[in-house]
Amino acid sequence: MTALLTRVRRYMDEHRFTLLDLPIWLVGMAVAFAWFAPFVWMVSTSLKYPEDVMTAQIEWLPNRITFDNYVKVFEYPVVRWAFNSLVQAGVATSLSVLFGAMAGYGLARMRFPGRDGLFALFLASLMIPTEVSIIPMLLGFIKMGWASSYQALILPSIGNVFAVYIFRQFFLGFPAEIEEAARVDGAGPFRLFFLIALPLARAPAIAAAVILFTLNWNNFLWPLLVTFDESMKTLPVGIAAFTPVVGTRTQLEGFSVAMAAVTILSVPSLALFFLLQRYFIQGISQGSIKS
Amino acid sequence: MTDMAVPAPETATVPPPGRRQERPRVDRVGYLFVAFFAVPFFLFNILPVLFGVYVAFTRWSIVGSPRWVGTENFTRAFADPWVTVAFQNALLYGVLIVPGVSVLGLAFALFVSRGYPLSGLARTLFFAPNVVSATVIGLVWVWLLDTQFGLVNHYLGAVGVSAVPWLTSTEWSLVGVSIASVWWDLGLAFVLFLAALQDIPADLTEAALVDGAGRWQRLFFIVLPQLRPVISMVVTLQLISTFRIFSQVYVMTNGGPAGSSSSPIYYIYTMAIVRNLFGYASAIALLLFIVILILTLLQRFLLKERA
Repeated sequence: MTALLTRVRRYMDEHRFTLLDLPIWLVGMAVAFAWFAPFVWMVSTSLKYPEDVMTAQIEWLPNRITFDNYVKVFEYPVVRWAFNSLVQAGVATSLSVLFGAMAGYGLARMRFPGRDGLFALFLASLMIPTEVSIIPMLLGFIKMGWASSYQALILPSIGNVFAVYIFRQFFLGFPAEIEEAARVDGAGPFRLFFLIALPLARAPAIAAAVILFTLNWNNFLWPLLVTFDESMKTLPVGIAAFTPVVGTRTQLEGFSVAMAAVTILSVPSLALFFLLQRYFIQGISQGSIKS
Repeated sequence: MTDMAVPAPETATVPPPGRRQERPRVDRVGYLFVAFFAVPFFLFNILPVLFGVYVAFTRWSIVGSPRWVGTENFTRAFADPWVTVAFQNALLYGVLIVPGVSVLGLAFALFVSRGYPLSGLARTLFFAPNVVSATVIGLVWVWLLDTQFGLVNHYLGAVGVSAVPWLTSTEWSLVGVSIASVWWDLGLAFVLFLAALQDIPADLTEAALVDGAGRWQRLFFIVLPQLRPVISMVVTLQLISTFRIFSQVYVMTNGGPAGSSSSPIYYIYTMAIVRNLFGYASAIALLLFIVILILTLLQRFLLKERA
């Protein structure tokens, strides 16, 4: 007991943790847990029997649980929607990371007329909100007969400036000696890039991949506009139809099915975030502060 | 200068004093490296914008061909009361969401940056809502803000506040959507503040400590002035993203009741998808673009002014 107390004492001294900090710490942590509480409530509701949902008593932990709500969710084509989302986010992310790495490498390590002008143009384009181009783009895709297709879901998100930026930053600090050595060995620019530079760019690649995957997985407006076909919807768009407009079945089922659906939807992004949050937070702050 | 691959032997041996006669290498293959990105970028990021400017001056629907109508779409937009409502709502969303995100984001970042026990966990919890989709945000908050059985009204009722019709009344719907938006958007501001706080030179705070400055003095005279650029950035980024608010509105209220929570993008969406007026929708989108551009340039200008 006294040993513990001295350890606490030493900790407090080392961290300048005074008695005044205790209430701040307690309140802060309480706010942090409260901030996350809606997710707990979401999962809790999804495990309740419909008749236990709309109650005057608040049950944070359900007295009795059921997985029926999840079964009901699968009466909708969620498997298909999840597959569509996976294809859309997976392909779009892989391509934008690969192309972003190539462009970032080219802009950082090669010299050619117009290089800096191009990069400035890419950055300037960030000022254009995507929503401005989305209606004309939709018109274009419809006219080409590409509505409700995978290319419609994927193509618009592969020209991602964020990926270019994050790789350019990385390759600017890339040691020239490595390139020199490879050149002396007779490696061409593509071998140099794919066999030497890219494998060393793990950190920016993971950061770009997790951030873009989340972005693509959550993408809402464009998939909503471009999919007319129920079977081509993505998971966020499909599940958005669980919105309880008064009188629809969700209202009758009392939110439990809707919460099961959004639990399924949020698990991949939350899991990715919990596992790789270092990359998330660094990547986002680097990407936005500098640009 | 570092990546001179094949220096010509003459220049390498006898560089004239003070002047280096290197012929800059040109990597033609560089264009190819950039092209894989640049082609889709131009096709899907730039071309639609230019195309959109044209569409804005036409009457065009999914079937049929475009008809040039000059500025008709714009005069119509200026006379359309629902356009006014949508842009007014964008402003109201800004008034509610921007301070909410900035103040709470800063407070949370200040707390986490103190390095208390479990602050890593707190960081995770504060950022988590930012990574889920609008559908999750929307549906979870429709449930939390339910008038009769929602958690929010339940706990408000416990302190004597009578049930607020958060999403079903014209007075409150915009506030309800804003609450959900603050919860969703806070993560980005929080992370940016956190990074900026870590960049404050340690000797600055140390010196203030030595001088006997209390925690409030340190906050107001050291920390906040150091954070000015990032505060300005967060406010602008959040204002712009708030002007583009759509998904939450779509999921939570469908812009209603009676357009009370509608937004510019939501109205553009209705005009294009429901009413099939692509030209008119593009014209409103162009107006929105101009508003956002002005906000961006204003921030650039203000930042330069200070620097």
